[in-house]
Amino acid sequence: MTQLVWNGLFVGSFYALVALGYSMVYGIIKLLNFAHGDLYMLGAFTGFAVLGAVGGVSSSMALPVLLAVLLATMAVTGLAGVVLERVAYRPLRGAPRLSLLITAVGASFALEYGMRAAAGADPRVYPVRLGGTPLEVLGARLTLQQLVLVAVAVALMAGLNLLVTRTREGRAMRAIALDPRTSALMGVDVNAVISRTFFLGSALAGAAGVMAGAYYGKIDFLMGFLIGLKAFTAAVIGGIGNVPGTMLGGLLLGLLESFGTFWLGGQWRDVFAFGVLILFLTVRPTGLLGERVTERV
Amino acid sequence: MRATPLKPLAALAVLALLLAGCGQGLLGGGDDAATGDGPIVLGMLVPQSGGEAAIGPYMSNAAQLAIDEINAKGGVLGRKLELKTADDACDPQTASAAASKLVTEGVHVSVGGYCSGATLPTLPIFGKADIPMIIPAANSQELVDQKLKHVFLINGTGSQQAAAAQKWIAKQGAKSVALMHDNTSYSKDIAVRAQQLLGDQAVIVEAVTPEESDYSANITNVLAKKPDFVYWTGYFQEGGLIARQLRQAGYEGAVMVADGAVSPKLAEIAGNEAAEGVYATMTQTPETLQGAENWIAAYKKKYNADPGPYSNQSYDAVRLAAEAITKAGGTDGAKVVAALEAVDGFPMFSGPLKFTPEHTLANGGFQILVVKDGAFTLQDSLQ
Repeated sequence: MTQLVWNGLFVGSFYALVALGYSMVYGIIKLLNFAHGDLYMLGAFTGFAVLGAVGGVSSSMALPVLLAVLLATMAVTGLAGVVLERVAYRPLRGAPRLSLLITAVGASFALEYGMRAAAGADPRVYPVRLGGTPLEVLGARLTLQQLVLVAVAVALMAGLNLLVTRTREGRAMRAIALDPRTSALMGVDVNAVISRTFFLGSALAGAAGVMAGAYYGKIDFLMGFLIGLKAFTAAVIGGIGNVPGTMLGGLLLGLLESFGTFWLGGQWRDVFAFGVLILFLTVRPTGLLGERVTERV
Repeated sequence: MRATPLKPLAALAVLALLLAGCGQGLLGGGDDAATGDGPIVLGMLVPQSGGEAAIGPYMSNAAQLAIDEINAKGGVLGRKLELKTADDACDPQTASAAASKLVTEGVHVSVGGYCSGATLPTLPIFGKADIPMIIPAANSQELVDQKLKHVFLINGTGSQQAAAAQKWIAKQGAKSVALMHDNTSYSKDIAVRAQQLLGDQAVIVEAVTPEESDYSANITNVLAKKPDFVYWTGYFQEGGLIARQLRQAGYEGAVMVADGAVSPKLAEIAGNEAAEGVYATMTQTPETLQGAENWIAAYKKKYNADPGPYSNQSYDAVRLAAEAITKAGGTDGAKVVAALEAVDGFPMFSGPLKFTPEHTLANGGFQILVVKDGAFTLQDSLQ
């Protein structure tokens, strides 16, 4: 049982990290950034390239080196997110919501197949792997490396939450989410804040990409697709636009999948997990901690 | 008066035309005049995008190699061979569209098909256009269960592979076997057939979702049944991850994968430690082929890369198509099918070819490979 909970939480923390970018972008400009999962993929490949440039790393140094690579990658994917917003989304900001959605799908394909053209269709394998000897904790098998990854994910999410709730920058983001035009009239530089939001969300997705690459080992140009969908789901369960809700949503989806597999077998996992979600959303359409509709009006 | 001397000439000309027509009829089969002397076009559907995109070049390069060799020797019936590839993305919808595209491009014989799930919907599309299909890799039993006249499989079938797996499991003395598949036509087919053969020995059949990274939930499920043998029947990317995650979860029994997972990448993804000793049920690969050094050298010279899984089968599919067209005297679908059915002892990498009434190989030729130092090597030929 503890093993199931641990499996769910571990996978869920990846979902949550990726879901945050979805959620923040949606919260601010009401855009479903379908290319977000591909920024996760871009992060994994950037980390791969950086590690390759660093050269051979002894296994004792693996963790500190990976943390450095993690930061470098977050900067790169963050900038990629900013460029994506500038090139693909900003020119369409006044356009109908549907055009923006299709642009996002287009950006997703462009990133996927651009990466395929650049790096090839063959999956790549990370030169540094986080293996580690498993420990038994309350009947669950886990490794120190897994704990570190979850700790990094939690630290990133906590940092983001602080930033959104406690800083001027966060206040500007929340203000734009409520009413972009009034915020602009109050002297908030809307474009700059949106750029920075993209930077943060994309950097988190990039971090998740490097962590997945280092832990699971295999990366390929389509790796962002499925997790993008899952993260989107997690964001909706948690209440899209709400930061703590999105984190909870990611963990909940991970747990649902883990228990669904255990109770009904792998072939029923998605039926179970997503069936529960449909039920849940009919009861609570705004998600776990979704914004009250009144706040919007 | 002046016309009279021309009459015999005219008669001769008519006769010549008639003869040519007959010749065309005999040699050119049912071809219309437009394509009768153009190149013979072989169509090939392989995954060039999507999760299995890595396999595409292995197959199309080898097919092109065979075509170049045949063309260098003068082609088939005096006509050049030409290869048209299209991307099926290992996806049924994409494959149907790509098959229709090949049909409109005037393909005469199809020599492609890797993912069974994507190949299945193309069978009626090629069938309606009277295009024979020689399928080099896809091998789900569902492909032959429909008993379609124009479909030939030159890879062993799912039931043959399951039988080979069962043979090896018995030889290893395994008591409880966990079967894992990814719910695609090819993968599920082998798992279900192996389950039937193993009976009570099969303690669990677990389906996973392909293209994910974390299979720990499935693995927890599988290990709860305490198996001493795990057989993965899907493709190599998930296979590598599953082999690794099984070991991380503390599993110490044997791991075996099916032919879709045989790739050097599997060991790389699993990491050498976890991959060491992983078995595989597989037909001949370039690495296990006897006496194929020249062929491998030719491939390397042309593409500056090693051949991979299904390179040899794709190469053979083209050679077989050329042979059948030669025997049929043209590209008429029915005649080529008849020629394929009549093939007896055609030399291929998998041995002399003769089709069963179901249009499959009499002997699947499955053998057991094992990962040694990161590469699949022959363990047991199961003969």
